[in-house]
Order: sequence, then C-alpha cells, then structure tokens
Amino acid sequence: MFWQQLINGLTLGSTYALIALGYTMVYGIIQLINFAHGEIYMFGAFAGLFLVTRFGVNVFVAMLGAMIFCMLLGMLVERIAYRPLRGRSSRLSALISAIGVSIFLSTLMVLIRGPQTDRYPDTIEISSFSLGPVQVSSLQVIILLVAALLMLGLQVFIHKTKMGKAMRACSEDLDASSLMGVNVNRVISFTFALGSALAAAGGVMVGLYYNAVWPYMGLMAGLKAFAAAVLGGIGSIPGAMLGGLCSGVLEIFGVAYLASSYRDAIAFGILIVVLLVRPQGILGKPISKKV
Amino acid sequence: MKLLRHRRIVALLTMLTMLVRLAAGCGGAKTTSGDKTGGTESGDVVKLGFLGALTGSVANYGIPGKKGMEMAIDELNAAGGILGKKVVGIYEDNKGESSEVANITQKYISRDKVNAIVGDPCTGLTKVAAEICQKNNVVIFSAGATGTGVVEYGDCVFRNTLLDKFAVPAVVDWMINTKGWKKFAVVTSLNNGYSTALTPVFKEAIKAKNGSIVIEESVNDGDTDFSAQITKIKQAKPDVLVFTGYYNEAALMQREAQKQGLDIVLVGGDGLYGQDLCKLGGKAVEERVIFYCGFSSDQPSPETAKFIKDYRARYDEDPDMFSAQYYDAVMILAKAMTDAKSTDPAVFKKELAKVKDYPGVSGNTTFRPDREPIKSPICLITIKNGKFALLEKIPVKVE
Repeated sequence: MFWQQLINGLTLGSTYALIALGYTMVYGIIQLINFAHGEIYMFGAFAGLFLVTRFGVNVFVAMLGAMIFCMLLGMLVERIAYRPLRGRSSRLSALISAIGVSIFLSTLMVLIRGPQTDRYPDTIEISSFSLGPVQVSSLQVIILLVAALLMLGLQVFIHKTKMGKAMRACSEDLDASSLMGVNVNRVISFTFALGSALAAAGGVMVGLYYNAVWPYMGLMAGLKAFAAAVLGGIGSIPGAMLGGLCSGVLEIFGVAYLASSYRDAIAFGILIVVLLVRPQGILGKPISKKV
Repeated sequence: MKLLRHRRIVALLTMLTMLVRLAAGCGGAKTTSGDKTGGTESGDVVKLGFLGALTGSVANYGIPGKKGMEMAIDELNAAGGILGKKVVGIYEDNKGESSEVANITQKYISRDKVNAIVGDPCTGLTKVAAEICQKNNVVIFSAGATGTGVVEYGDCVFRNTLLDKFAVPAVVDWMINTKGWKKFAVVTSLNNGYSTALTPVFKEAIKAKNGSIVIEESVNDGDTDFSAQITKIKQAKPDVLVFTGYYNEAALMQREAQKQGLDIVLVGGDGLYGQDLCKLGGKAVEERVIFYCGFSSDQPSPETAKFIKDYRARYDEDPDMFSAQYYDAVMILAKAMTDAKSTDPAVFKKELAKVKDYPGVSGNTTFRPDREPIKSPICLITIKNGKFALLEKIPVKVE
C-alpha cells in the first residue's frame, strides 16, 4: 500500500511541479506572482481537448498544439496586463492585475462553453501492469516521463542557450541586464511563453489522467502549485520540481494515513509553515537587498 | 529585522489575495438565462417558477426537469389551462448554488408573484428555498429532494420523489440477499449535503441486515484525484462499493478503480442519475454502477408509455427521472388547484396534501398525513452500452 500511494503521490506531484515551474520562472525574473497561471493551465487543457475532439489528432500532437496556443496566450496576457504596469507602478498593482486576469480568463471560458465538466475521449487505452505489489497505469508512466523530460529540457535551456543566459541575467538584476544590452521585454515575454507552455502540457496531461476538464480547474491546481513553488523556494527551478513532488506525495499520504478531509488543509498548511519557518523555501537562497 | 518584517507583509498579502481569488472563483459567472414572460399580470394567469440548475455541476438534474415542466405546462394550456387561466412557466438558472437559489426564490415570490414553485431537484437547495417559501406562504413542490428534513419546514412544502429512507433498506436487502454482497465499502462526499445525509441511511440499513462495513472513506465534490482512496479500498477487499454522492465523482472514482485494477460495482442513490455519468465514466462504468430511483423509461406502465412517446417526439431523447417528476409535479399542482377551485397557495395547499394514489408518469404518489410521499416501485438502473438501462424493479415496503 505504501508504494502504491507513493506512485499516486508522485503522479499528482509531477502535475503540480509542471505548473509550479511557470510560477517560479516568472517570479524569478520579475518578482511577480502570476496568479493567472492556473487559468493558462485550464486553457491548455481545453485547447488540447478541442484539438482531440474537433480534429481527432493524436494526444501528443494535441499537447504540442495546446503548448503553442498557451505560449501565445501567456505572451498576450503579459503584453496587455503586466507590461504597461512594469516600472510605472508598484509590484502590488501587477499582482492585482494578475488576479483580474485570472478571474477574466475563467469567466471567459464559462461564457464560451458553460461551466460543466468535459472529458477527453478514450484515445489512449488505459492499460495497467503490476510492478511487484504496485499497480501502475500506462498514463502514470507517461505523465512522469513527460514531466521529467520537460523539466530536464528546461534546465538545459536555462543553462546552455543564449536566451537562457539572458533569463538568468535578468533574474539577477533587471536594470543591469538592460544596461548590458539585454532586451528585457523580450526576455520577460519569452519567460511567460515558456512557463505557459509547461502549464499547457500539465493541463493536457491532467485532463487525460483524471478525465475531467472544467473552467475552474485552474483555481485549486494553481493555488496548490503556488504553494509547491513556495515550498521548493520560489524563484528556484529545481526547487519548483522538488516542491511539486513533495506536496503531491504529502497530500496523498495525508489522505491515505490521516483523513481525506484534510487534503487541501495539508497543501496550504505546508505553505504557512514554510513561510513562517523557512521563508526562502527548501532550495531558495535568502535574498539580501541592498539599500 | 526590517527585511523580515517586509517578508511577513508580503506573505500576508499573498494569503489575502489567495482568499479573494478563492471567493471570486466560487462566485462564478453572473449570467442569467431566464425566459422573459413580460407583460402578463398575475390574476389572469397561473405562474409556476422553476428551480433547478441549467448550468454547473448539477445541471444534469435541472435540464431534463425543465423539459418535463415545459411539456406539462404546454399540455395543460392545450387543454384549456387551470380553471380557465393560462399557465406560464418562469425559468431561471440557479447553477446549483445556495445563494442563487435564495435570490431566485425571492425574485419568484416578490417580483413574479408565482402561485407555486417547482423544484429544486437537490435536497440541500430545496431546504434553502423551502424556508423562504414557508415564510411567504407560497407552495414549493420539489421534484427530486430525497433526503430527510424537507417537508418539516411547514405545510407549504411538498415533494414528489422516492425517499431514501424507504428505498435504501430495500436496496441493501437486494444487495445482500439477491447479489450475496456482504462486505461493504462506504464512501461519502463530505461537502455534499445529499451525501452526508444518505450515508447514515445506508449504514443503518447495512447494520440492520447484518452486512459488514469493511472500510469507510470520504471524498469532496470537485475532487478529481481519488487514487489514495481507491488504493485503500482495494486493500480492504469489499464486495461492493457504496457511494452516496453525485455522478461526476462516481464516474471519476470508477475510472480510478479501473486504472488500479479494482473490479467492483458502485451502488448509489439517484444522485448518480445524470447523463454525464456515462459520458465521463466511459467503459469504466459499463455495468459497474447501479443506482436506485423512481423512474425508468424501460418496461413502462400505460401512463408512462404515452409520456415517453410524447417526450421523445418533442425533444428527440429519452426522458429521465427528473423530467418525469417535474412533469408530475406540475400535473399534481394543477389537479390540486382544480379541486380547490383556487390558484391561491393558501387555499390549494390543503387539497394538495390530500393527494392519494395519483397515477403519475414517475409511479404512484400518495402523501402521508405528514406530507411525505410514498412512491412505488423502485427501479434499479445500470449502464449498458453507454446508456442507462433498467436492471430490476423492486417493491417498496412501508410500514
């Protein structure tokens, strides 16, 4: 039972990790908690669903399509809702703007297709196999693999490419990077695109795995992923992965060994404890500000 | 020190914004899709207000209900209306939310001045509306509330449905004695009033019939991940899984069971009666879900056959329990108004309470002296080829 619950937890955790990565990247660079991120994830799930049901494409193609769509959506949100505020007003107004975008996007989806739950057609046959005492489904393996690959790809991208270098420079100091000739607006826009693409991948996979897609799905998932990002150390990419996996496993163990009703309390209880005890998170570096 | 304080403030702000977001998300969209009737004065028409969700997570109960109600009203009008007055239905979408139910009930009473309210299909929401109706002396007739403590709100509150407290003992008896299932897993949805009320009814019946409950689990409405609960249930090796919640969660739970290789039948109440059960569940619910309710379009009685034929002709789909019960509710109200020769709720409510052996399309209805309905028989429904199908009819034994 322990191992089965661990697998359950890792699957849930890897979906949190994918969403948490987007939060953490944006925060790392412009110190903005992009609350609309959960809604981007929801749009990703619906974009994938649309491609699968309307055009009958393969789920992997649908995931790719959803990622491209959400890249554009993420960049659009940044352009309209955040860029005009940057540098001109306090960080708090950007945060309020993010909440506004989040409510706008989920309500927009309700207006487009109503609030009822939909599901992916059975395009992927769910086969399950036993691994010792554990029953693993093919979908769980796919989710874990795709999540690991995307995270690895992201890590390579950040450390090996020129754009990745620019992103790291921007996260150190926005003004200095701009003085050194980095096109800051482009870098930020790109960060949003990348984060949104990861969220879209998460959305499609969650939609497939749990077989439920609805307009408010981004709300709880977004909040829990945010808690995971804080747990891992907001701003840190390996931290987001670790935080996501940890909170997924803790949540499942909470349901398994405590009580199911504590499920959400666990996710946010962790957030509160982390903020009190170790505000920088597991892998985060304490930020020292120069006056 | 200063840095630390700054961080605390940020943390606090973050929490606050999260709360705001949560509240905003739950509120949902503020669109109403009510049919405007306009221009009619109360007095020369009979107005019936519809309660039910047309969108949202319980829309599967409200949408067929509205269709049944519309059909009943058109049939009444074709036959000359009630006491020569035209019958007008007023439809608002309450989205399955308590606050909307309260708003809409209030609007029906004070602005539309309805003669009676038909609905809601959910027990918890009916209670919200019942309290308001009783205070304003307007008759409310629920076509679906099966839980306890509904008609206790007062003499304006009626319902026309198979009650859980009568149906569950018969269903448990069937599970133990016909199916030979003796070890039960019982799952409750904690944030669902229907579910938390139905679970004790099941547990009592199981105990009374000497079945054993090997595991009790809980979930929440809106959850999508049931992996931990299913793993635990699988460990306990029950013969059957009793789930007292609604169709969305039941479908997802059976999919999770399938993923984990747990082959078990899920049994529940008519809260599982929503088309989305088949849609979301797919192959995982095929003959793996059984629930009881008061209506099935298979093997109809003569009264029901005509209703089913007309309904199919009008909507190009099969009626379900909710369309039948809303249809009956309107017809029973019409009968009471005709018998009382008045459309005033204070007058016709007395006639309504006297209804006995009314041969409706959703079974026979009799109101006991305490206004609780007795309906017979119980239909056990399962899913075959992605559609609801009648498994068996079992009689209700009431003392």
